[in-house]
Amino acid sequence: MICYQCGCNLSEHDFCTSCGADVALYKKIIYISNRFYNEGLERANVRDLTGAITSLRQSLKFNKNNVEARNLLGLVYFETGEVVAALSEWVISKNLRPKKNIADDYIDMIQTNQNRLDIINQTIKKYNQALTYCNQDSLDLAVIQLKKVLSLNPRFIRAHQLLALLYINNEEWEKAKRELTKCLEIDTNNIATLRYLKEVDEMLLPEEGVKNPPKKKHKSDEVIKYQSGNETIIQPVNVKDGRGVTSLLNLGIGIIIGVAIAVFLILPARIQTAKAGIDEDLRKVSEQLDAKTATIDEQQLQIDELTKLNNDLQQDLQAYLGTDGTLRSVDSLMKAAGAYLTNPEDVTVVADYLEEIEKEDPEGETSNSEAFENLYNTLLALVGPDIAKAYYDDGYEAYRQENYADAIPNLEKAFQYDTTNGEALYNLANAYYRVGEEEKARATYLQIIQLFPGTEKASKSEAFIEEMDSAD
Amino acid sequence: MINFEEELKKFHPSLEVEDAEEAIYNQDLTDMADLMVKVVKESKKTGVTE
Repeated sequence: MICYQCGCNLSEHDFCTSCGADVALYKKIIYISNRFYNEGLERANVRDLTGAITSLRQSLKFNKNNVEARNLLGLVYFETGEVVAALSEWVISKNLRPKKNIADDYIDMIQTNQNRLDIINQTIKKYNQALTYCNQDSLDLAVIQLKKVLSLNPRFIRAHQLLALLYINNEEWEKAKRELTKCLEIDTNNIATLRYLKEVDEMLLPEEGVKNPPKKKHKSDEVIKYQSGNETIIQPVNVKDGRGVTSLLNLGIGIIIGVAIAVFLILPARIQTAKAGIDEDLRKVSEQLDAKTATIDEQQLQIDELTKLNNDLQQDLQAYLGTDGTLRSVDSLMKAAGAYLTNPEDVTVVADYLEEIEKEDPEGETSNSEAFENLYNTLLALVGPDIAKAYYDDGYEAYRQENYADAIPNLEKAFQYDTTNGEALYNLANAYYRVGEEEKARATYLQIIQLFPGTEKASKSEAFIEEMDSAD
Repeated sequence: MINFEEELKKFHPSLEVEDAEEAIYNQDLTDMADLMVKVVKESKKTGVTE
């Protein structure tokens, strides 16, 4: 503490040891200021910010140089969202004590963060705008604006209070109470907050008050009290009926809950399990189907291979049959040769065997051995003319008797065994012509013209062909 | 019962940051110590004059 007159440090005496000024009253003033500061600090510690502000202001009224009180007042203002008021106190504090002052840190904290400063400025402007809306009766806009303010600075008590006031005006008591509760969390002893809260509680409480009493009355009606000696007997009335109805009600509720559990919990689980089982069965069946399909494909492949093998074997068999046919031809040739050696005069037997050879290979497709061919040709040269003559004799006789059915095969054989026998061929052509087989007749006549040119048979053949042409 | 209009009048616009300087200059910083000093000085003057 310093002397207000000379600025020297004061002692415990009531006068200044330097200038002799009376400092008794001055000391009391300083003590009172300090006492208010202590009170303000205590209130701030229990979040009675309104009380703290009052005490700290009082402290500063007594001693404006109480820097601690001013710094604390700035801090309390800042906590209630009054940032400009807080800054003012800190700036004055810094001017009073430029060095070793915590206000310096507080000011730096706000001024160094430009973003924070902008938010503070926006908050204040929006709050003022909300207040303007209120004065213009645009209360809905004011509510919206205040919600924005509180989103930027949730500790702005005046904004909470104004919003609560607007809710009270709209008779939205629950919302108002919520805002006021937030106010109380920041400042526990704000007069305006408490007043608004009292109003809100009065509006909310009557509803609760109406609900509760009848229950008590109802309960008291359900009992009969009477004195038995020293004991008070309390007997419930109509308890059984009530219990019966309650039991039935509970039973019904239990059944409903049971059904609901079955429908919503058990049934879906069962359905899910059944679906899983079906899916599993389906999967197994699909696997079996795939396996069987693969087996069928494999067996089809085997059938194709076997069919191909069968065809090959059939071809081989045909080849063997062909071989067998060749063997039979050889056998017939051997028999023919044997018959000729046994009786050369009996040409008909030799002719029969040779015909069998012809039947086995009528087109001459089978490739016979050279020895076979030599023997066959030799035998044919030896017996061919005789066979041809025999066939011709029979054929001509039949032709002469106009038995063309017998004549034709005999004459064919006669020409087959003796290709120089023009008579046989000519009579054959005539036989064809007589039985009406003109095509064969024409071909045979042409063969005569070709094989025996310049002969009488050739000229007659030409005449017959012209006759057939003119008849067409 | 709270009167909305009356209550609304209790709410005043908040000072913006730009106005802080002016608010500081306009703040009345006179305290009890100043008054006491003034009273003491005046009493001394009165005593001298008498």
